[in-house]
Amino acid sequence: MEKSNILLVDDDEIYLYLMEKSIQKLTDDLVVNSFTDGAQAIDFISDQVQKGRELPEIILLDINMPFLDGWGFLAEFKKLKPKLEQHINIYMISSSSREEDIKRAKSFEELTGYMIKPLKEDELTEIFKKAYNDSW
Amino acid sequence: MWKRVFKFFIFLYAPILVLSLLFFYLQKNNQIEQLTQIQERAAIQKKNLVVDLFSGIIHDINYWSNLNYPKNFDPNETHSRMMGPYMDLIEGTRDYDQFRYLDMEGKEFFRVEQLGRETIISDTLQDKSQREYVKAGLNLRPGDVYLSQIDLNKEFGVIEKPYKPVIRAVAPIFDIDGKKFGVVVINFKMNRILDQLKSSLINDNFYLLDSDSNIIATNTLEENLPSARIVLEGLDSLSIAKLPRKQFKIAQDTSFLHNKSLWTISHLDLNRQHSMVSPYSYDLLNIKTPTQWIIAMQIPEKDMFENLFPIYTGLLVFNFFAIINLFVIIYLVQRRRLQRAEFYKELETKNKRLAFKRNKLQEQNILISDINRRLEVRNNQLSEFNYVVSHNLKAPVTSMSVIVNMLKNEKEPGERTNLLLKLEKVSKSILDLTDDISEYISILDNKKIAVKNVDVNLVIEKVKHEFTETLLDNSNFNVIVKTDDWNQVSFSKFYLQSIIQNLMSNAIKYKRKDTNSFIHFETAYEDNKKVMYIRDNGLGIDLEKHGENLFGLYKRFHRNVSGKGMGLFLVKSQLEALDALISVKSEENIGTTFKITF
Repeated sequence: MEKSNILLVDDDEIYLYLMEKSIQKLTDDLVVNSFTDGAQAIDFISDQVQKGRELPEIILLDINMPFLDGWGFLAEFKKLKPKLEQHINIYMISSSSREEDIKRAKSFEELTGYMIKPLKEDELTEIFKKAYNDSW
Repeated sequence: MWKRVFKFFIFLYAPILVLSLLFFYLQKNNQIEQLTQIQERAAIQKKNLVVDLFSGIIHDINYWSNLNYPKNFDPNETHSRMMGPYMDLIEGTRDYDQFRYLDMEGKEFFRVEQLGRETIISDTLQDKSQREYVKAGLNLRPGDVYLSQIDLNKEFGVIEKPYKPVIRAVAPIFDIDGKKFGVVVINFKMNRILDQLKSSLINDNFYLLDSDSNIIATNTLEENLPSARIVLEGLDSLSIAKLPRKQFKIAQDTSFLHNKSLWTISHLDLNRQHSMVSPYSYDLLNIKTPTQWIIAMQIPEKDMFENLFPIYTGLLVFNFFAIINLFVIIYLVQRRRLQRAEFYKELETKNKRLAFKRNKLQEQNILISDINRRLEVRNNQLSEFNYVVSHNLKAPVTSMSVIVNMLKNEKEPGERTNLLLKLEKVSKSILDLTDDISEYISILDNKKIAVKNVDVNLVIEKVKHEFTETLLDNSNFNVIVKTDDWNQVSFSKFYLQSIIQNLMSNAIKYKRKDTNSFIHFETAYEDNKKVMYIRDNGLGIDLEKHGENLFGLYKRFHRNVSGKGMGLFLVKSQLEALDALISVKSEENIGTTFKITF
């Protein structure tokens, strides 16, 4: 079985570093791709689709990012979605607990969940369990 | 007000007064007319009565005139026997005062007197040839009767007392051969007749006058005092003077007003007027009189006034009530008018006050809505601040705690160094953030900002010199300024400089390489507010994608361009701190236009 893909999108490089560390602690079976803004992430996905390569099962998405923020990413992703053959679990991971943001997140059916930073280990485990079912 | 009331009163009352006077005049005339008619009827009645009374006298004298007297008639001696029954007749007629026969010389040859209750044949015969009635009597022809003036009786040239008004009826006498040999004269006592005349059912004054306007009888005096030629004791000379003698001379029967008395005079003509009720007729006789009697009826001033009193009273009462009513009505109307005027005046002042209050309220509303808008802006700023602090601070702080935790557990020196480097990075980012936040807070706390009139041209000129791109002549970036509408604005000079700096910096950073770039400042008025347009022909931005984030903190939209995403955030904060607003329009590869509304 090929290694699963996970995509981290966040402009906080320290966060990215720490997340990668946490994931590596949990499993060796995951390939982690990190991007510091939504635009790069979208570019990556559309590139993968074009080339017929495998897509990530999970995307952990930050809201506040330069160039293209989390919402912008979701809007662009919506456009790409018809071309996708598999389901991608997208989680909004934000330090914002604002009612406004949570409400807005619910309006995107592409989103699987909304979680508040920092993610705890068991939360991360839960996300993986849901994504990989029995194989996890 | 009273002046007005009186004016209106006079204006309204004058016609009423004139009408009432006219009505009064007509009514008075009508009343006088009626009184005149009554008086005329009374006069006719009186005249008839006189005629009736006189017809008895005429009949009597005619009787004596038509007796068949013998030749050489001597009633005293030869024919005394014949006179016997006639004496009884004379005696039985109480009205006879004297009964005489006079010869053609005017001398009495037979005389009977009534003295008290006795009838005496007098032997003292008098010569009456000089008396007027005798002269007139001797000239009488058959069928003639002479009636003298009604006069007080005189004996031997002296007025007999008590006063005895008499009339002398004279008629010729003839013997059997038809030869006139004298006259018969009867003195009739007039008191009974005159008293009868004086008695009346109506209150009018009655006068019997001769043609010289001498009063013969009047019901104004108890006594009958014919002949005013004689000065009489007790007769009020004034009442005589008041008689309208002039009018009495008029031959016709007439009615007139004289000295407020109503008079009716009627002339007595015994030859033409015949009694309707008397059994005696003298149609064939020719009555001669030395005078023409006049019957005068008078309603004196006092009675006239009494008769007209109801009309006077009516006039007075009507006018009295008219005056009172008019006065009251006019007063009430005027008062109401005044009250209404006052009411309107009050209403007007109230209206003015209301309008004033409304204006004030409107001003306050504007003020409140302005304050509201500012509060809203302030609220947004605070919530933005809250977000910035909670979000942007939370992330590095969390990271820091995680790293510190990992450091605790990490034994490997290489990895520890790595983690320490990361920690340093985090702490630096926290420091940067606190710096940014304190700058932002200083903007939010606008109390310290000095606001004054700022010349936009000067500010732009100054900012222009801070950029090498705009200083160099050969650079392809132009600054165009068009401040025709206004160039002064009340604002913070420092903020305005910072805003223009940021916008110009952005315009330079995001210019298109393939074209001559420019930034264009233009001032204008919109809705009475100063606005400034800042237009460039740079890269532009997809507002559909990024619109809401454009003025956000740490938002960056262009890769490969330096910047930490603070510029437009500060621009917006600085503008809002001084109640100005900013909006944006942009199109990719065409340019961006910012609009600042002060």
